[in-house]
Amino acid sequence: MNELLTLTGLGLFSMIAEIFNFRKAIFPVIVLGLLGLLGLCYMDWGSYNSTVTHFSMMKVDNFSIAFTSVLTATALFWFMMSRSFFEDQTSMSDHFSLVLFALTGAFCLTSFTNITMLFLGVEVLSLPVYVLTGSRKRDVASNEASFKYFLMGSFASAVFLFGTAFIYGATGSFNLENIATYLSTQPQLSPLFLVGLLLMLSAMAFKVGAAPFHFWTPDVYEGAPTIVTAFMSTIVKTAAVAAFFRLFYLSFSGIHGEYADIIWAMAALTMVVGNVIAAAQNNVKRILAYSSVGHAGFMLITILVMNDFAAKSLLYYTAAYSAAGIAAFLVLYLVGSANNGETPLNAFDGLVKRNPIMAGTMTMALLSMAGIPPLAGFFAKYFIFVSAVENGYIGLVVIAILSSLVGVYYYFKIIIAMFFGKPDNLPTYFLTPIHRFLLLFVAAIIVLTGLFPDFVMGLMTI
Amino acid sequence: MISQYLFYFLSFVSVMSALMVVFSKNPVYSVLFLILTFFSIAGHYFLLNAQFLGMVHIIVYAGAIMVLFLYVIMMLNLNKEDEPGTTTMSKIAATISGGILMLVLVAATRSVHGMESPVADSSQIGSIENLGKVLFAENGFLLPFEISSILFLASMVGAVFLSKKEIR
Repeated sequence: MNELLTLTGLGLFSMIAEIFNFRKAIFPVIVLGLLGLLGLCYMDWGSYNSTVTHFSMMKVDNFSIAFTSVLTATALFWFMMSRSFFEDQTSMSDHFSLVLFALTGAFCLTSFTNITMLFLGVEVLSLPVYVLTGSRKRDVASNEASFKYFLMGSFASAVFLFGTAFIYGATGSFNLENIATYLSTQPQLSPLFLVGLLLMLSAMAFKVGAAPFHFWTPDVYEGAPTIVTAFMSTIVKTAAVAAFFRLFYLSFSGIHGEYADIIWAMAALTMVVGNVIAAAQNNVKRILAYSSVGHAGFMLITILVMNDFAAKSLLYYTAAYSAAGIAAFLVLYLVGSANNGETPLNAFDGLVKRNPIMAGTMTMALLSMAGIPPLAGFFAKYFIFVSAVENGYIGLVVIAILSSLVGVYYYFKIIIAMFFGKPDNLPTYFLTPIHRFLLLFVAAIIVLTGLFPDFVMGLMTI
Repeated sequence: MISQYLFYFLSFVSVMSALMVVFSKNPVYSVLFLILTFFSIAGHYFLLNAQFLGMVHIIVYAGAIMVLFLYVIMMLNLNKEDEPGTTTMSKIAATISGGILMLVLVAATRSVHGMESPVADSSQIGSIENLGKVLFAENGFLLPFEISSILFLASMVGAVFLSKKEIR
C-alpha cells in the first residue's frame, strides 16, 4: 500500500512542480523516491500475511514485492538513461508525471486480487504510454504509432471488459479468490465462464504482445521515440506478463486443462513468429521489436507450467530481459540520435572502433538475449525450459530451442556488424559520464545476475 | 408482463439501431443511431430498477460524448461518403474471425438457458443507496474508485501535453 502511495505522490509532485518552478528538483526527488520505494520493498519483503488484503482489492505478497523491485530498479535505470528526454522545458513535468502514473499502474498489476484492479492497472499503465508514444509531435511515424496503439489498445480493453462481464455473470464475483473457490466447487463449468476466459486471455495476450495479437508491436515500437520503446519493452512488458501470470495463478489454475492447449499454441506461435520475422529485418529497432515478441513467447511458457518454480523463473526472465533491454535500447538510442533517428544495421558498422564501451555493452546485452552462457539470459531460458520439461511439455521446449537458435542468428548479425563492419564516414561517440556509468553498470548486472541467479530467484517465495 | 414486452421492444430497438450505426454510410446518421442505442440501453437500466445508472448513462453518453462525436465529425468534415480503402483480403479475414467469435458467443449463451444465476436477485441492487454503499464501503470498491482518479489525472495530463504549444 505504501508503495502505491509513494508512486502516486511522486507523480503528483512532478505534475505540480511546474507551477512552483521546481523543475530542477523533479529529477533528484524522483530518483530519491524510487530508491525509497526499493527500501520499502525491502522492508515489506517476507512480512506479508496471507489473510491481509488492502480494501479486499490488492495483496502485497512476495510475488508483488519481487516484481515491484524489478520494475523499480528498471525504472531507475530508465530515468538515468533518458535524461535528455526530459530536458525539453515545455513538457518536462508532463513526461515525468506520465511515466510515474504508468509505474503506479504497473504496481497495481503486480498486486491485484480483484479483476477491477487488474483492469484499472492495465488502463493506468497503458494510457500514459499511448501519449508518450506520440510524444514527438511533429513526427508522422510517432503520431501513427500512438494512434495505432491507442485504437488497438482500447479495443483490447473492450474485449477484456466483455470477458470480465461473462466471468462475473458465471461466478457472481470479481474477486480472484471467490472465482477460484467457485471453480473448485463447481462440477460442471458454465459455458459463459469459458467464453469470458477466452476473451480475457485474448486481451491479456494483446497486452503482452503475443502472437496472434502481436501485429501492433513492431509498428508501435518502431514509431515511438527510442526512449519510450525502451520503457515499453522493459517495464510495460514485465508488468503485463506479471499480471497475466498472477491472474491465472490466483484464479484460473484450478481449470488448467481447459486453457492449456490455447496457451501452448500461443507460446509456440509467438516464439516462432517473433524470431523468424526478426531474422528477416534490417533495421535494428525493428529487430529488437520482433525479438521482444519472441521473448513474450518464452515468458508465456511459465504461464503454461504455472507452479512456484515457474513464477521464480518468470521473475528471473523479466529481470534478465529488462537489464539487457535497457542496455540495448540505450546504445540504440545513442546510435540513432547521431543518425537522424534512423537505426539501419549499417549504422552499427565498426562500432567497436568508434566506441568500445557501447559496442561491448551492446554485445553483452545481445548475447544475454540470445541466451549464451554464462550471461543472465542463458539461465533465464534454462530455468524456463527445465520447468517445462519437468511438466512434460517437451515438444514446446524443442520449438523454443529451435527458435532461440534463429535468435542467435539475428543477434549475431548485429554483433558481426559492430566488430567487422567498416566504419566509413560514421561518427564517433562521446558518452556523458552518466551514460558511461550506466552502460558499465548494466553490463555488470547482466554478468552478475547470470553468475548468481539464486539472488533474484530467492526474492520470490510464494 | 408489461415489463417483458418493454424488454423485447427495447432489445429490438437497441440491436437494430446498433446495426444501423455500422451500416449507415453517412457518419452523422451513425452518430444519431448511436444516440438511439444509448437511450434504449438506458431503458434497460430503468427496467432493472437501476435509475441512477440509467440517468448517468443518458447524461454522459447520450449527452456529453455524443456532442463531442458530432463536433469532431463536423470539424473534420467527415460527412462525405468516403471510406479509406480496405482490401478484399482484410474484409474476408474480418468476416471469418468475427463470424467465429459470434458462433462461440451464440453457442455459449444458448446453453445457459434455464441455468440459475449466481448473483442474488434483488430488485433494489441498482438503487442509489446500494450503489453508494458498494462504491464507498471499506471492503467494496473504494480503492478502485480512488485509482480511477489517477487514471483521469493521467489522461488529463496526456491531453494537455499533446495539445500545448512549445515554449521557445
